[in-house]
Amino acid sequence: MSERDNRTVLVCCGPGCLSNHSLDVYEELKARISKTDIKVDVKTTIKATGCQGLCEKGPMLRIEPDDIFYTCVKVSDVPEIVEKTLLNRQVVERLLYHEPSRNKKVLSPKETRFYGKQMKLALRNVGEIDPFSIEDYIFRGGYKALEKVLSEFSPDEVISEIEKSGLRGRGGAGFPTGRKWRQCARMKDSPRYVICNGDEGDPGAFMDRCIMEGDPHSVIEGMAIGAYAVGSHEGFMYIRDEYFLAIRNMLHAIEQARERGFLGKNILGSDFDFDVQIVRGGGAFVCGESTALMASIEGKVGEPRAKYIRSVEKGLWGKPTVLNNVETWANIPVIINRGAEWFGSIGTEKSKGTKVFSLVGKVKNTGLIEVPMGMTLRDIIFDIGGGIAEGRKFKAVQTGGPSGGCIPESLIDIPVDFDSLDRVGSMMGSGGMIVMDDRTCMVDVARYYLKFLSEESCGKCVPCREGIRRMLEILNDICEGRGRPDDLETLAELGETVKEASLCGLGKSAPNPVLTTLRYFKGEYLAHVNDKTCPAGVCKNLTVYYIDEALCKGCGLCRKSCPSGAIEGQPRQPFAIDESKCIKCGSCMDACRFGAVKTRGRA
Amino acid sequence: MEIIIDGKKCEAQYGEYVLNVARRNGIQIPALCHYDALPGQATCRLCIVEVEEGGRKKVVTSCVFPVTGEMQVFTNSEKIQRMRKNIIRLLSARAPNNEFIKKLRQEYGLLPETRFSGDDKENCILCGLCVRACDETGISAISTVNRGIEKKVSTPFDEASEACIGCGACAFVCPTGAIKMLDENGIRHLWNKDFELVRCEKCGEYFATREHIEYMKKKYGEDKCCSFCEKCRKRIAGEKMAASYRK
Repeated sequence: MSERDNRTVLVCCGPGCLSNHSLDVYEELKARISKTDIKVDVKTTIKATGCQGLCEKGPMLRIEPDDIFYTCVKVSDVPEIVEKTLLNRQVVERLLYHEPSRNKKVLSPKETRFYGKQMKLALRNVGEIDPFSIEDYIFRGGYKALEKVLSEFSPDEVISEIEKSGLRGRGGAGFPTGRKWRQCARMKDSPRYVICNGDEGDPGAFMDRCIMEGDPHSVIEGMAIGAYAVGSHEGFMYIRDEYFLAIRNMLHAIEQARERGFLGKNILGSDFDFDVQIVRGGGAFVCGESTALMASIEGKVGEPRAKYIRSVEKGLWGKPTVLNNVETWANIPVIINRGAEWFGSIGTEKSKGTKVFSLVGKVKNTGLIEVPMGMTLRDIIFDIGGGIAEGRKFKAVQTGGPSGGCIPESLIDIPVDFDSLDRVGSMMGSGGMIVMDDRTCMVDVARYYLKFLSEESCGKCVPCREGIRRMLEILNDICEGRGRPDDLETLAELGETVKEASLCGLGKSAPNPVLTTLRYFKGEYLAHVNDKTCPAGVCKNLTVYYIDEALCKGCGLCRKSCPSGAIEGQPRQPFAIDESKCIKCGSCMDACRFGAVKTRGRA
Repeated sequence: MEIIIDGKKCEAQYGEYVLNVARRNGIQIPALCHYDALPGQATCRLCIVEVEEGGRKKVVTSCVFPVTGEMQVFTNSEKIQRMRKNIIRLLSARAPNNEFIKKLRQEYGLLPETRFSGDDKENCILCGLCVRACDETGISAISTVNRGIEKKVSTPFDEASEACIGCGACAFVCPTGAIKMLDENGIRHLWNKDFELVRCEKCGEYFATREHIEYMKKKYGEDKCCSFCEKCRKRIAGEKMAASYRK
């Protein structure tokens, strides 16, 4: 049987698709195929893969080598897929993806803007392989890089290669990975440790999770290469305990790698020993901070320490330690296999390679994407993301997780790289990207993130613990109509102190959502404070919903959607909202097709 | 090596912390979470200073920032003063009635806090010195609990801790007098636990808890521990010394 005769059905079992019952689809497909004993000349393999990216349209399913992909697949669709596509090579039209830019259904992922504009390096295998199968990983070139390094490279040459590639840490700070390794390798102390930071905790972010779930071996291979380079024999993967699948898949992968001799003593016949163990994190956001993470591994309270003496010198148990995040490690084998020069040719001058983002919020195509550094926010949101959902207007995009900044429309043509995002007051962070539309109140957004951070600050240092708490108090007051004229000044001043005087990265970046919204959306703050109005109609105390009689056609949709029975009216006559009953949920506004439901200030 | 603090040349050793160098040279930097016998906490952030190294200025906490080369330190720049005042403001919003914080506030010319309200009974600023002291004695009976604005210092589950020996090191190092330790009628009340106090064999004053003495005996050996209070111990040592001179 030739390669062409083999057919593979890849069922996405990433977090988004799983929660939409993709595992049931997978089981059903398997059962059907084994039952159908079909007289076809193809052997069909069904694989449950990691995240295929387009989470909005999950569960997703791909058929290779035919290059067909189906979206929103339900268990009830399976008989038809087997009958038509697998047996008779016909396409099930209604399951195809509708490409908005061309307004037609397309067969292959390559024909979509969502996939067409992406470039997958860290995600190279995610969604393509069965994460439980080391054979799948090896078949796609896995562990070649480790083999190459052990047989052809000295540790120093590995570091030089990574330095030359220009790779910067994908966890947030963007520190040059090669330089970090070099500093650690120079230390005289031993033992040395390598750590993988899998404590992804940003709301709405699932980049690292998907790599660990969908391609665990790439992380193991990256760590083994790093360990060889810096002279370490022991590695730790710190994975938050909520990531059940990631831990399960990673444990399995580590076992397999040991069996095959990619981990353990005398790896691949060399004299290099290395092994990895998993440490499960208890779910504190701050434990994603490198020194807090190390304290947690040591069994101490997960609090950061001042990093004037860096972890490469005194890290885990006071020994030289290299800590990189999941995505950084996953990039290492690619750089070794394809060369530093090739990797360095991707991206911008100071930010090389690609970056994985979880694109969420009010975009049409939410999901997991990987793009070359330097792509503009506009391309990401409007091409890959397909624009704003429900035809609404773009307002802002928040990058970098809860302590990133909100970037307004006037700046969405900036290239996405470490330095550009930094300049506009935001940051790359680990790759969260939350898109907001015109129904978002920016003061409320700042308040939301500060609330999150007030609960997740470790509380060790005064500016972060007390500063965030007081800034949150002010924002609560502003959103509830008690804002004072000098509040904005106090916010900015406290923001500066928290940013400058806090102990760790969490505090140093915590004021970003407030400071950037103050910078780019000051008018909205002033409306809240001075006019007691929430222009977006979100802050309930500052919002009154009403129906514009001139626009209302009297269709009654608003009344049907109202959960509190606050809307009355006769058909074809303008309807009206009873303010005393209105709970300001916005359902009527969403339901109205004529834009007749509006908001105004309380005054 | 030599570093410059507020324009003054100061002798410093490699790895020494800036706060220590400054204090030795008579330059005062405020700090609440610093105690000479314990490693730097870097939690109160009052000791922030600006450091200029290789042409770049940055804000650092002087209690844990080591001297590693030439540097200029500015302990009271306009920026530092502004931020230090904000930190004091935050502290006084947390513990509005604490005498130590009040004094600090007055020193920095700040008015009583009106924008934010705090707990009138709060005295703890969560600097962590008590926890550190307890750890260093090898007891580890208390720890910080929870995180963020819910953080506090306590024993496990707020219950009387089996590990606690009532030595009072925590209360001794506390910079704001937040730890309530009460000795009355031969009983010490500390961390929800009552300890029996033992009298000095010489002067008869209560001087330590039974658990504390037991712990010391176990740690340092029976013969190395005595049953005298600190005053009497000093007096005895002094008498011994005097006797040896007389000989």
